[in-house]
Amino acid sequence: MTLDKPRRRRVLHVGFVPLIDCAPLVAAVRLGLDGKHGLSLQLHRQASWAAVRDKLLSGELDAVHALAGLVYGVETGIGGPRGELAILMTLNQNGQAIVLSSGLARELERGRPLRELLSALPRMPVLAQTFPTGTHAMWLYCWLAAQGVDPLRDIHGLSMPPPQMPAAMAAGDLDGYCAGEPWSRQAEALGVGKRVVRSGQIWPGHPEKVLACRRQFAALEPETATALTAAVLEACRWLDQSPDHRRQAAQWLAHADIIGLPAGHLAACLLPPADEAPSTCLRFHADGQVNFPWISDGRWFLRQFRRWGWLAGADAVHDDALLAEVHRLASYRAAAQRIGVPLPVENSRSGPPLDDPQRE
Amino acid sequence: MPRILLLNDTEKPLGELRDALQAGGHEVLVATGTRALLKAVEEQQPDVVIVDVDSPSRDTLEQLALIDRHAPRPVVVFSADADEQLIRAALGAGVTAYIVDGLAPARLAPIIQVALARFEQQSHLRRRLDEVQQKLQDRKLIDQAKGLLMDKRGMGEAEAYAALRRQAMQQNLKLADVARRIIAMAELLG
Repeated sequence: MTLDKPRRRRVLHVGFVPLIDCAPLVAAVRLGLDGKHGLSLQLHRQASWAAVRDKLLSGELDAVHALAGLVYGVETGIGGPRGELAILMTLNQNGQAIVLSSGLARELERGRPLRELLSALPRMPVLAQTFPTGTHAMWLYCWLAAQGVDPLRDIHGLSMPPPQMPAAMAAGDLDGYCAGEPWSRQAEALGVGKRVVRSGQIWPGHPEKVLACRRQFAALEPETATALTAAVLEACRWLDQSPDHRRQAAQWLAHADIIGLPAGHLAACLLPPADEAPSTCLRFHADGQVNFPWISDGRWFLRQFRRWGWLAGADAVHDDALLAEVHRLASYRAAAQRIGVPLPVENSRSGPPLDDPQRE
Repeated sequence: MPRILLLNDTEKPLGELRDALQAGGHEVLVATGTRALLKAVEEQQPDVVIVDVDSPSRDTLEQLALIDRHAPRPVVVFSADADEQLIRAALGAGVTAYIVDGLAPARLAPIIQVALARFEQQSHLRRRLDEVQQKLQDRKLIDQAKGLLMDKRGMGEAEAYAALRRQAMQQNLKLADVARRIIAMAELLG
């Protein structure tokens, strides 16, 4: 990378949804890491994941902060458009939670089985997540299924913008939901619900948001894709370096153009809690363990899509060929080497500790 | 005349659009948030949903399309600016039509009509595609089961196929289901 050679920086339009885990993109811009890698990132806030997806596919956005599951959903055309996307890196692990209304949470804590509690409700239980093929739907469905609740038959599931979830719970419309921070703490702050499980307890170190772009962009502009990956990867490393950096990020995220909530409130979500195992808490780097686009993570999402009946067939060879296109390992490796982030030997990691009945 | 649900949950004024649709003789329902949207869809079953491109409720509509796969609703996206590429991608991608702010009211009715027709056609194509994919999948299973019979029982191809058909008829099962059982048994027995 020659920094002294004067040349125009490539402008990239990057979409994000106002959530805690857009922090790496905001930090990359605020720390000037985009400029360091010859780029100028323009961040655009989006109101829905559908808008993120459509604007990425149309070319209005060059790259996006996306739910990992959304990328595979677009690849397989589940419930919406089909398109060819690429995952440059994972932005974060953990940091989401499942909330139940206060009454249900209290009974669950007393040890009554969830299945029994839900079937005792006067109506079909209503549980929300953020996007049909998104990560929150997957955590919620896995958690329910592990307790004998069929997420497709025993509950009424819906997608909803997370900022509306706490209020919907207060109004009695929702019995529970799965979302990222700050929206689970918000239910507790309002006194309408309680976090019953953190996503990192369901799968410690699960992939959450990814940095995605169109496949064509990754293939035709590999240098730009690598520079973008390097800039954001450096921001992720910075976020995990010290609690002070996270506090600083909370200040940036509080800005009205980003999340627009009080910095103290956001810092509480960003700072690692003292009493929890780090492997189950929100993390952005962990020496690159977080960011490597593990092929096995992609396999897991495809298996879940089949588990819930959205995807036909089970062809491991086809899946791996697809994932080799979607996960841009070469670009990630080049970026990691450029900034000195350690690389794993294998492309897959040991499996998620979730039940995974591929065939019933 | 189609019944239209107008989702009004962004700062963009949809008043003009509503007036134009009503003037065109449409029944217009207005929802102002996700809660009202869900209620309106369930109770009043609109034929078309019109939503702002920047509406936070768009993900809710996506979920409705996934869970209610056999009765999805055409979604028309409303945008203040006409980014031609965005429109083209959206149209290729599940959104049925695209309305740009400032469109002459007289042109709305034909757009709604076309959106409905186009949606019908897309649903039909999707069903056809599902069928074809299912058939292909069945074909693969049958071939695999046939291969197992030929391999393990020393049957010829025609003989193996006839054996499969006979099983299917005797047990009143589909050919693909018999194939699936044979494959599962073979895996079990090694």
